[in-house]
This record gives sequence, C-alpha cells and structure tokens, in this order.
Amino acid sequence: MRGRDVILDGVSITYPNGFTAVQPTDLKIEAGEFFSILGPSGCGKTTILRSVSGFVEPSSGRILIGQDDQAGIGPNNRPTALIFQNLALFPLMSVWENVAFGLEARGVSRANRRTRALELLELVALKDQAEKKPTELSGGQKQRVAIARALAVEPAVLLLDEPLSALDLKLRQHMRAELRAIQQKTGVTFIYITHDQGEALTMSDRIAVMNEGRIEQVGTGDDIYSKPTTAFVASFVGEVNHFHGKVKALEGDMAYVDTPLGTFLGRNPAGLEPGKKAVLFVRPENLQFANPRRKSGPGNALDATLERRDLEGAFINLQMRAGANGSSAPIAMHMTNTGLPLNLSPQKPARIGFACEAAVVLPEGQLAKTGREELAAK
Amino acid sequence: MSGLLRAYGGGLVSLFFGAVILWGALLIILPQMTMLERALTPPKRQLDSSIAGQLERDADTCYSVLQRYLEPAESAPPADGGLAVPSAGGMAVPSAATLRAGNRSYILQCDRATTRQQMVRPRGQEAWLHELYGLPLLAVSETDPIPAQIETAAQVSQLAGELHQRLLTEEADQSNLSLNNFAELVRPTLIPLSDEQRARYDADILKQVYELMGLRFEQDGQVFERIGLIILVRTLLFAVMATLLALVVCYPIAYKLALATTPERALWLFVGLVIPYAIVELMRVYAWTAIIDNRGVINSLLDWVGFIDMAAGEAIQFKRSAITVFVVIVYTYVLFMVFPIYNVMSTLDRNQIEAARDLGSSTWRVHWRVIIPHAKPGIAVGCIATFMLAAGAFSVPRIISRGLQSEWFSQTIYNKFFESENSNIGAAYSFSYTLLCFVVVGVFMWVMRTRLKDFARAQ
Repeated sequence: MRGRDVILDGVSITYPNGFTAVQPTDLKIEAGEFFSILGPSGCGKTTILRSVSGFVEPSSGRILIGQDDQAGIGPNNRPTALIFQNLALFPLMSVWENVAFGLEARGVSRANRRTRALELLELVALKDQAEKKPTELSGGQKQRVAIARALAVEPAVLLLDEPLSALDLKLRQHMRAELRAIQQKTGVTFIYITHDQGEALTMSDRIAVMNEGRIEQVGTGDDIYSKPTTAFVASFVGEVNHFHGKVKALEGDMAYVDTPLGTFLGRNPAGLEPGKKAVLFVRPENLQFANPRRKSGPGNALDATLERRDLEGAFINLQMRAGANGSSAPIAMHMTNTGLPLNLSPQKPARIGFACEAAVVLPEGQLAKTGREELAAK
Repeated sequence: MSGLLRAYGGGLVSLFFGAVILWGALLIILPQMTMLERALTPPKRQLDSSIAGQLERDADTCYSVLQRYLEPAESAPPADGGLAVPSAGGMAVPSAATLRAGNRSYILQCDRATTRQQMVRPRGQEAWLHELYGLPLLAVSETDPIPAQIETAAQVSQLAGELHQRLLTEEADQSNLSLNNFAELVRPTLIPLSDEQRARYDADILKQVYELMGLRFEQDGQVFERIGLIILVRTLLFAVMATLLALVVCYPIAYKLALATTPERALWLFVGLVIPYAIVELMRVYAWTAIIDNRGVINSLLDWVGFIDMAAGEAIQFKRSAITVFVVIVYTYVLFMVFPIYNVMSTLDRNQIEAARDLGSSTWRVHWRVIIPHAKPGIAVGCIATFMLAAGAFSVPRIISRGLQSEWFSQTIYNKFFESENSNIGAAYSFSYTLLCFVVVGVFMWVMRTRLKDFARAQ
C-alpha cells in the first residue's frame, strides 16, 4: 500500500438548494500524510471528504489524487476508501465477509478473499472474531473491522469521517494511538475529519481548520495551537482568553494593544497598523501570578479577583474577573497542581500576568462559539 | 406473559387473549373445520334419509291439499283469493273454482308422492327407494277418486315417515365420511377431439407438460384430462407468475420511494400509488375492459398509429391473453407488494449503500449484496400477500377474460359451490386449494429463509 497525494484545485461545492458548503479552496495533502480537517459542525469538512470520495461532484475546480483528475469518476472507481461516522458495517454479513466485501467487487475468489480478510483482521487483532456478526462486537472492535474493511481495497487515500465520535473517552484515546500506528505501518494518506481538536492535535501531521466553508489555516498542530493566524483558529483550537482593543503602537514585530483592562504587548503576525481594531489572545496556561517580590514581571500584568476554582487533577482551573468591580468577561487560568494552598480569596485582588511572546494580536474576526453559546443556539 | 400482565393489567390482557382466541376460533378454525366436514361428506340432501324425509313432506302436503276437495263448499275460500297451502318445495295453490269442480288440477307434491324415488348414487350406479328398503310401490294417481288418492298419500306419508326416522338413526350411527368429493378433483374427463384438433393439441407444449404431470393421458385412442387438477395447477402457476411480475414492477418503485428520492417527491409518488385504491376494486378492474377491449383504448391507439386496421375488423384480442390478467392483477394488488418492501427498505442505513459503493461495488452489486438481503423479509411478505391475492383472484380473471380464457381455480370453486348439484365438491376444492396455497407459501418461506418473526419487521 502506498499513499498518494490529494490536491484540491479551486474546489467549491454548492448544493442544489443553493447552499454553498465549500467556498473555493486550494489544498494539497501530501502522500502518506495524516491530515486532519478540523472545524465546527456545518463548516463544510464532511462535504470536502465526500467530494474526495466521489459522492459529491465539485461545482467548480478539480480534485486530483496522485495527478489523476477525478472528475466523472464514481466513488466505486476512486482509489479512496471511506470510514463512516456510524461505520456502516453490513449487519447481515460476518466480520470477515465485511472485510472481504471490497475484494468481492474486484473479482477475487472466495478462498483468496478469506485469506486476505484474515490477514487484515490479524492487523487489527480481531482474527478470532472473523465468524461473528458485527452486532456481536464491542464498539472498539467494530471500529477496527471498519478500518480493516477500508484497508482491504488497498486505497491510496483513507478518508475518516469522525469515526471515533461514538466511542467513550478511554477507548477513543486508545483508538487514536491505534489509528496513528496503522497509518504509519501502511503509509496510506489519511484524511481525518473531526470537530474534536484533541484528536486532531494528537494524531495529525498537519491540520486544516475550517469555518463556514473556508479553510482558515493549514499547519502542524504546534502552528495551529501556538501561532494561529485568524481569530477563529485562535478561539476554536484550545481554550483562550481574548481582549478586544485597538493597536496603539508597534515595536518590531510586536504590537501594543489598548484594552479596557490595560495596554498589553503581544506578537503581531498579521502586521496590524496602529489604530486598527484588534484582539489579543492568550492561553489560560500562559497566565500566571506575578511575583510581588520580583520587579520585572512576565511582561503584561493586570489585577483580577478569583471567582471560581475547579480542580481537574493535575491542573487547577481558575476563573478570574478583572476591571472595575470585576466587570470584565471571565478570564481562565490553568495552573499546575503543586499541592500547595493558593492563598487566594474572592475578596482579595491578585496580580496576574503573561509573557509578551505568549500573546498574539490578530485582526478582529468571527470567534468560535463557546460551549454555552452552542447550547443556546440549539 | 407476566410482563404483559404488569404492563397492561389483568383486564386488558384477558380481553386481548379472549379476542385472539375468539378470532382464531370463529374466523379461522371454525370455517375450515366446517369446510373440511362438508368436503368429506356427501351433501345432506343426497342422503337416503333426506330423500325419505322429502317424500314424507311431499305426501303430507298432497294429503292436506286433497282434503280441500272433500270439504263442504261454504267453508271453501272466496273465489277471488288464492289459498295458501303449506308447501315444502313446489307450487300447490289451487283456486276455489277448481276445488269445487270435483276433478282436481295438477298438484306437484301429489305427483312426487310415490315410493318410486331414485336415490343419489355415484356415477354408473342406480338405486330406487322402494326396492332398496322393501316398500310397496305406491303412487298418488290423478285418475283415482279423490278419497282413494288421499288414502294413498296418507300411506306414503306413513311409510316415508317411518323410513325417515329409521334412516336418521342409522345414519347417525354410521360414519359416512368419504373422499368422493376430493376424487372429483382428480377425475379424468373424456375430451372429444377431431383428428385435426388432436394433432394441434398434441403439439401444444402446455398439453405436453400436462401429459408429463399425468394430468392428461390417452386410453383406447381417446384423450382424457383431469380438468380440475389442470385448472388448479395452471392457476397456481399463473399466480406465481403474476407475483413475480408484481415483484419486478414493485421493487424499483419501493427502492425509489425508500432510498432514492427526496421526501417531497416520495409524497407525490405515494399519492399516485394510493389514488387507484380510492376506487372500488370492481370498478378498478372494470376500467381495464375499456382499455383492453377490441375497440378499446389500446387498439384505437394502434389503429391510429396504423399498426392495425380496426375498420377491417382487426384487433389485438387482449381478453384472450393470460398476460392481460397478470397485468391487471399486478395493478390491482400493487400496494400489497410495494408497502412491505418499502417499509423494510426505508429502515436501511443509507450509509451502507454508500459504503458498498465506496468499496467498489457496481449498482447491481449494491442491490444484490446490501439492499435485497436487507429488504428480504419485506419481499417475502409482499410476495406472499400478492400470491395469496392472485391465487384467490375472482373478479379479475372473470371480468377481464369474460369467459374467453380457461377459468381460474377460484372461478371453478365458485361454480362448484353455486352452480353444481353438489356444493360439497366446492368445499373439497376450496379446502384442497387452501392447503396447497399453504404448501406453496411454506416452500417459498423455506427457500427465502424467512421466519415468522420477519413478518413483524415488514409491517
């Protein structure tokens, strides 16, 4: 099995009802890469996947798999295999028949199909379950059958549509590692669709973050997390505090931003000019208490009072408020749990700060919905 | 059971089971038992006791009518009104004028009041009441004086009454079960044929098949056919073919409805499917006669196109074609095939179709390996429903063929019931047919590996 690259060349997809699910998009996925497309539900990521697998024809642009234009080629003739969100195993066939199904269409004899299916089941450690029906298997086992079934047709590109979302947390974490291992063993290009940033960050070589039919940023997990280029990426991937304001002055590739809570200095990757509206993002884990005995603080500082403290094992999550009478939006802080008492009280303001390098200044733009907003929207 | 009791309470559960038992007993077991009992016995009115009983009634009636001739004139009814005389079976309404005349008019019951009665016996046998039971040969003779006639009638009534009672007790003791009515189904009938017809029929492939099945044979240079069985076999075969045709037509419709169209379009398809069913079945079938008639819609169209010349009397005789009957049966019962298939098919996860496509399957393979196995219970239920309806179809073959084709077995049963002298043969035919249809359905379920619980899934 050898992976091939996938190129989206100006692909846009508009449904018959007029809804444009994917805005014109250029994307190159390298051969043998584990590539994730991350975005909230309804952002168009599944539509891209379906267009690569052949169930949806692009309204404009071309899709190339290993230099071959896929226009007019049906899903049954593309070098891709799709793993569905609900897995879509065939309930009336045994496990090995499921795995061998793709070979059946390719005219492989029954004996050879069975041999090949058993090999693949061995790869996913399910050889002893070959004669069972899929309904007799556990969630994780079904998952592995689906993978084996997709790999049986020796695809150049494996497309995965949130296949782990139905599993419980422990199993999901285990399957992440397993998927990654299978990808490295087989060398097949994986395109993985998810709305779960944890999955995307842990497994992927590269990630594309999508919003409203548009790819906002493509990069490695580190890039996406630490060097977001848009307000949406910064707010969607990981938890983040944001302070709205205006650019006051520049200092090299840094910028001062005037916010209601004070003036802060942060990186300015977008090259914003003074006077422009901007948002300064800083991750909760980059916030720390300023040492009152040390003169030089972490760079930026503000006064805040504790509102709530949640223990999460290795971490303690704090929710702070700043500004006059705690008028600001909640500010999240993540601290390593050292076991020492915090010595904070809701009445006593504390000084907190963050390094200038840890803050990023980006142009104003749409922010990802918080969990509470998403619930309200439903 | 205990679960049911807990969920619905004793009252509802006993009501439910009561209804089920009542349903089964009254509508399934009782009619079939009655049918079987009738099939295994000769008709009541053919029994010797019935004939003696009938004779007794006739003689009694004759007696009482003749009494009128002896009564004084003043007690006779007014001339303008007829006299109502109790009459078992015939007309015996002498007017006052004929009564006074001394001579009497014809009285049916007196004509029948004779001990010389022919008994009902199988073909080729003959028996007479007076000979069989040693009665004197008595008859009410019109030429005798009235008192003598009355005397004879009384004697006949007396003898017949005694015999009737005796035979009733005898017959109650002995079982008269026989397979004679069933034998009627396999009885060969001589088919008189000219040499030319003979040559034509011998070349007919269907007749050759009948010959292989033993339904047609030659004896002493004559051709015999087991007509009852031939109609039965033919009807079952036709019902199977109509079912297959319905399946071929309905599978794509059900697929389209369930899996390949948007809900709005499916709604219109449904409306189109259901509208014909708002019409009474008889009208629905009858409408076809306008279409297939020799001067009907199709022939007019063909005439218009120039394919045939109706003015010269040319027409395609659809009424004579069994295929027309199949088509109308499919049209009449299409919903019974579409809905079970649709119901099961719509439960199929569309992702499975896409998964099969994605794994390289052609459209054909997707149907064969994914959709049909899933829809199998629905297909089985639809086929069984359509088969049973087609096998029992009465109005369609009757209205469509108008006697121009061999009848279907349902028509034969009807004729035996209502237009033959022995309606119990109808019972035997009907019972055998029910049984055979069950066998066909059972074999079909075995072939399709359908279990009874699949029926619940299909509805």
